[in-house]
Amino acid sequence: MSQKISRRDFLKITGVSSAALAALTGCGPASRFVVRKPYPDMPEYNQTGASTYFATGCRECPAGCGLIVRTQEGRAIKVEGNPDFPVNYGKVCSRGLTAVQGLYNPDRVQGPLKQASRGSSSFEKIDWETAIPIITSALLKNEPSGVAFLMGLAPDHLYDLVAEITQTLGSPPPLRYSALGMFEGRTTLLQAVNNIFHKDSLPFFDLANADYVLSFGANFLETWLSPVRYSRAYGSLRQGIPGRRGYLVSFEPRQSLTSANADEWIPIKPGSEGLVIAALTKLVAEIKGIEGASDHSELDVAQVANTADISLKKLQEIAHAFASADHPLAIPGGQLASHANGLAATQAILALNGMVENLGKKGGLFLIPSTSVASNFSEIQALVSRMSRGEIKALFIHGVNPVFDLPSALGFQEALKNVSLVISFASFPDETALQSDYILPDHTPLESWGYQHVLAGADRPTYSASQPVVVPLYDTHATADVLLTALKESGKVPYQDEVDFLQQKLLPLLQRGGGFYTAPEILTFWSKWLQYGGWWTPTEGLEKPNGSSTPPAPAANVAELQEGQFFFVTYPTLFGDGSGANRPWLQETPDPMTTVMWNSWVEIHPDTARKLGVKDDDVVKISSPAGEIEASVYLYPAIRPDTVAIPFGQGHTALGRWAEGRGCNPLQVLNVQFNEAGDLAFGDTIVSVTPTGRSRKLARFESREGVYGSQH
Amino acid sequence: MAADAQSLTDMQIARYEEEEDPRQHLMFDPRPREEMNRMVLEAMQTTTPRYWITVGILGLLVALLLFGAWGNMILNGIGLAGVRPPIYWGIFIVTFVFWIGISHAGTFVSAILRVFKAEFRRPFTRAAELMTTFGLAAGALYPLIHLGRVWVFYWMMPYPNARWLWPNFRSALVWDFLAITTYLLSSTIYLYLPLIPDLAMARDRTEGWRHYFYMVLSLGWRGTEAEWLRLRKAIGIFAFAIIPVMFSVHTIVSWDFAATQVAGWSSTIFGPYFIVGAILSGVSAVITILFVLRSTMKNMKYFIRPEHFNALGKLVLVFSMSWAYFFFNEYLLHWYGGYKVVRDLLMHHATGPAAWIWYTMLICNVAIPWLTLWNKKIRSNPTAMFVITLLINVGMFAERYTIIPLTLGYQRFPFNWGQYTPRLTEISIVLGTFCLFIFLYMVVSRLIPLVPVWEVQEGQHAHTLRKVGKSEVPSVTELD
Amino acid sequence: MANTENTGKWGMVIDTDRCTGCMACVTACAMENNIPWTGEEEAGYGRGMHWIRVQRLWHGEYPEVKPEFTPTMCQQCGHAPCEPVCPVFATVHSEAEQINLQVYNRCVGTRYCGNNCPYTARTFNFFDHEFPTPMDFYLNPDVTVRRRGVMEKCTFCVQRIHKGQEKARAEGRPVKDGEIVPACAQACPADAIVFGDMSDSESQVSHIARSERRYQLLPELGTEPRVTYLKGGGYYGG
Repeated sequence: MSQKISRRDFLKITGVSSAALAALTGCGPASRFVVRKPYPDMPEYNQTGASTYFATGCRECPAGCGLIVRTQEGRAIKVEGNPDFPVNYGKVCSRGLTAVQGLYNPDRVQGPLKQASRGSSSFEKIDWETAIPIITSALLKNEPSGVAFLMGLAPDHLYDLVAEITQTLGSPPPLRYSALGMFEGRTTLLQAVNNIFHKDSLPFFDLANADYVLSFGANFLETWLSPVRYSRAYGSLRQGIPGRRGYLVSFEPRQSLTSANADEWIPIKPGSEGLVIAALTKLVAEIKGIEGASDHSELDVAQVANTADISLKKLQEIAHAFASADHPLAIPGGQLASHANGLAATQAILALNGMVENLGKKGGLFLIPSTSVASNFSEIQALVSRMSRGEIKALFIHGVNPVFDLPSALGFQEALKNVSLVISFASFPDETALQSDYILPDHTPLESWGYQHVLAGADRPTYSASQPVVVPLYDTHATADVLLTALKESGKVPYQDEVDFLQQKLLPLLQRGGGFYTAPEILTFWSKWLQYGGWWTPTEGLEKPNGSSTPPAPAANVAELQEGQFFFVTYPTLFGDGSGANRPWLQETPDPMTTVMWNSWVEIHPDTARKLGVKDDDVVKISSPAGEIEASVYLYPAIRPDTVAIPFGQGHTALGRWAEGRGCNPLQVLNVQFNEAGDLAFGDTIVSVTPTGRSRKLARFESREGVYGSQH
Repeated sequence: MAADAQSLTDMQIARYEEEEDPRQHLMFDPRPREEMNRMVLEAMQTTTPRYWITVGILGLLVALLLFGAWGNMILNGIGLAGVRPPIYWGIFIVTFVFWIGISHAGTFVSAILRVFKAEFRRPFTRAAELMTTFGLAAGALYPLIHLGRVWVFYWMMPYPNARWLWPNFRSALVWDFLAITTYLLSSTIYLYLPLIPDLAMARDRTEGWRHYFYMVLSLGWRGTEAEWLRLRKAIGIFAFAIIPVMFSVHTIVSWDFAATQVAGWSSTIFGPYFIVGAILSGVSAVITILFVLRSTMKNMKYFIRPEHFNALGKLVLVFSMSWAYFFFNEYLLHWYGGYKVVRDLLMHHATGPAAWIWYTMLICNVAIPWLTLWNKKIRSNPTAMFVITLLINVGMFAERYTIIPLTLGYQRFPFNWGQYTPRLTEISIVLGTFCLFIFLYMVVSRLIPLVPVWEVQEGQHAHTLRKVGKSEVPSVTELD
Repeated sequence: MANTENTGKWGMVIDTDRCTGCMACVTACAMENNIPWTGEEEAGYGRGMHWIRVQRLWHGEYPEVKPEFTPTMCQQCGHAPCEPVCPVFATVHSEAEQINLQVYNRCVGTRYCGNNCPYTARTFNFFDHEFPTPMDFYLNPDVTVRRRGVMEKCTFCVQRIHKGQEKARAEGRPVKDGEIVPACAQACPADAIVFGDMSDSESQVSHIARSERRYQLLPELGTEPRVTYLKGGGYYGG
């Protein structure tokens, strides 16, 4: 019998309408020691039966949206978007919505644990008094160069703190990695911006005001950079301006949700993106009569069209429409960056924007006025090789699950064996945590303090503020506090605790001013910071890119397929970097394109499937030199016949009851090869497909009949 | 000695048939009253241990398959059945309609044939009426079984309560509930009334517990003129009154479907279509049962003769044709009407993945009866009739299956088109009600006289063979 | 025009041109309304409890293939086919909100309404679904947790309607347009879902519902759905 909570078990809302019902009131006394007490012991400002709303920041992906969390009787009930927050304006995606299923997940690590031996899953409970000296000695007793931090793309405050700590200790700076960052080609994009516009920041594409948009593998409606922001902009692109409807053309081998919403989807051959961009550049230059595209002059457009599997006429049409549009915009995505020539292709897209003169104009390309840092993939590889050589004595892992998130060909898990001490700060017993010596769990995001510097989705300088919306459920400690406590006696860090660190970090914002609120001193600033869920400027503040230089034409990068070989596409889903797989409602939410729930699938074009002799739900083996995986077939009508695709996010061997033993991890077949910016060129992976003769039914939300065009 | 007498009878009847002697007809082959009474009592009382072992096993199966599986389903949830959105009704409702259809046999054979004075009805009215009652008993379980929360089933009944909540009289399910209750009550009374003289006959000729059992049930029947007069009057009233009840029951069952917005259900011809289908399956089931009775019960070959199979076979043919008329009418209307959803749905029945069910239905309900039943030889062959009528009921089950889950699975949104597969629990419960039906029939066939002796004797009195010249001419005296 | 009474003709407009099919509405609905998950086997069998589903149908052949997304939930019919068939009045029309309500504790589980809903918008609790502790902490206290054997469906987040009305009444003012939003509309990243009072001809939802792109699902059935859709895909008009 399940847990039954009837309406009667709760007190009904009384007619109270004052502070409790107004959103954005939620900080209570301006103290760092504010805790949200549970039902039996509620603070006086919490009224039984009335909800309290707290503004906080979303940490489900690096986009950093602002949230309002409805709490009642000390429990987080519902995640809603912060309507004032200049990234998501009150909107929120599936991942953000299920944050409470992360917070209240029964599989969480409930306190510090020591593992008997790595991978044994035999844990011994320890207490924090035992755990902290271990960190102290790991940080101070080891060679500074033997201490390494591997962190995720969120949260930023912890990264900033760790960066300071490593600098003080003389250790190498922390590395940041996220599968999402890899999939969106973040480093490549940064590098491209740097090469073309000479700035270390991410570009901002004013999709909402554009009228003719070319997207090269940018899945901005799913996970790319700031999906909620770009989804919102997409809505405006379509119907935001009366009498006008923006046109979207998407180039990629497999139809993603973004391509599905495009007016035209051009399934070009994987690897030919660079050539197509070069050809478009040439055509646009010809149409606009621009000199200086000389680098492209020898390019045979007809041949490019032939190589890329697109009709010459279509290419010319698109070039013409793009050149003559009022507000043309070209967007380089992760799929583009995932080839060996990804950097050149991304640069060419940025230059194409320059050519149609949309830089810094409405509906064009801008630069975010803040610098971004991201570790590129070759730095991760360098870390792995240092680990294998035994040079790393202590490895701290936070916010990332590298055993799962890194291609297994990289050998992270093997390299981990040569690290003397591995400490994971994971909230869940994930694959990496099971390969570490200690799990010293951090709070989950809804229990945490922090900030996130919005680097991609806001049109103005923006920080999102995290605050605990509920009292921590278990014996977990904020990692920032753990590190600060560990180093307290050494006197190497000037911060009392996490909140002190945050407040000191906020001082520059207070002094600089320009935000939509000001305060005479830090405590007032802090309370407003928490109340509004962050800090941002009242007016737009995007930078106009300048100093555009003409990049070299992207080199050809089209592989020849042998018989039985296929191009391989993998893409992130609702699970984000894979950590969403243990949330039952993310598993139960159907994949938008295939409506599959709770498992992995291989997308194969129906014609190809016929040739291979497989049908829906047949299990096939996908193998590459790097490895092999198995998954059930989904006959996907919107993929190139020479390409197969597997979504990323499933295939966990740990993490929790809803994630384990489900589907496969496509990163196991990725070859480790890089593009010019040092990002993983995962798009160049070529696989072969073999039927296994078995069949495993996928849980599909849609009918198996009637959805391929035979509808009424 | 008794066995010899029986085989003698069989041989004699066979010879009558060969010679086309009128005495092949039960009505012209009278036996002395006392002998006939004895034959009926003998048929009722002759059992073997094997018989009771079978009854015991059946009882066990009912407990396990029906009540065990049902209880388990109540504890765990209706999800143990295979129904799923949008196919919210599955084989439970199919079997429900099937049993309600079967239950039309008794009334049709007994009441309608009685009203129209079809003399061949006499020996098997009771067998048919028993089918009605037990078919209803089995069928009436399903509205309860298929409920998500059976423990509050009584909310469907109109009963006064403090919250002034009444059932929704706009819902066909409430009419269903009322119609089935009415039919169950009236058909039970209609079964009981003609039984009284036979019970009294049995009371006078038995001893021990049976004597007391029949004494109570026969309500002190003495057979006076006044009693006969009242009995005939009551039977006459009931025979007329139960006919509209019967028609209304299956019409209302059809309204469960017709009075909705489901494509393929919302149809004005569903009322008569269902009735014709019900009578087809009911009459067929009577034939099936008569064959079983004839071959397993003592002395039954005297009462149930090939002439009865012949006569009922004609009825089956007529109803098979009427059923086919309604069936093709449905297609014709929707072809002409041109509502794409229904047209696609009907095409889907014929060509979709479950088309074999549709073909089974047509073969069993149309092809087989039409190809065989025109032939008197086949109609008079009890074994052939047994097989044919069994197939017709398979076909009628397929018809209900096509109408319910297969129609629900292909509605207006192709996004959730789908199939439904009955699961173990459902199949178990369905088999359980078949066991229940057989169990009840077997037990009761040994408790009450299965042949209405007085009706047979009454008929034989009215039928005589008169000598006209050298030939014997059958003549019938009008009763009433 | 806005009223101070707790009435209103609540309605919704879904702009399929804005809709990206991202499924945020599906998750938002589940998190707001205590909808249980059912697991791979049950969900794959079609027993997922999603109150709102995004129907994805393919159009065309490769390479001109394109899906069409239609978020479909209970259409809150003015003339609802589910209502007359329920034998126990478990699905009724509310006079105040003019929407269809499902009275969970009155439902006996005949599933007749589920059959008769042409939009197949109703979901049924085939089993008791567990929220393993502490997962039950996030359950919304304003929404009943349903047990096995009862039907459920989209309520237009009636608890939010009531909350909004109570708040407005306590403050002595009419309900503001856009003040009350169901979870799906609140989450929708592309602003494809607009909710409001249809009886107020000046409300945003009324304005949008008058668009020449409007259409309704299965209009031939005369169910008077309270959800209006706006055509998408290549339609350039206002």
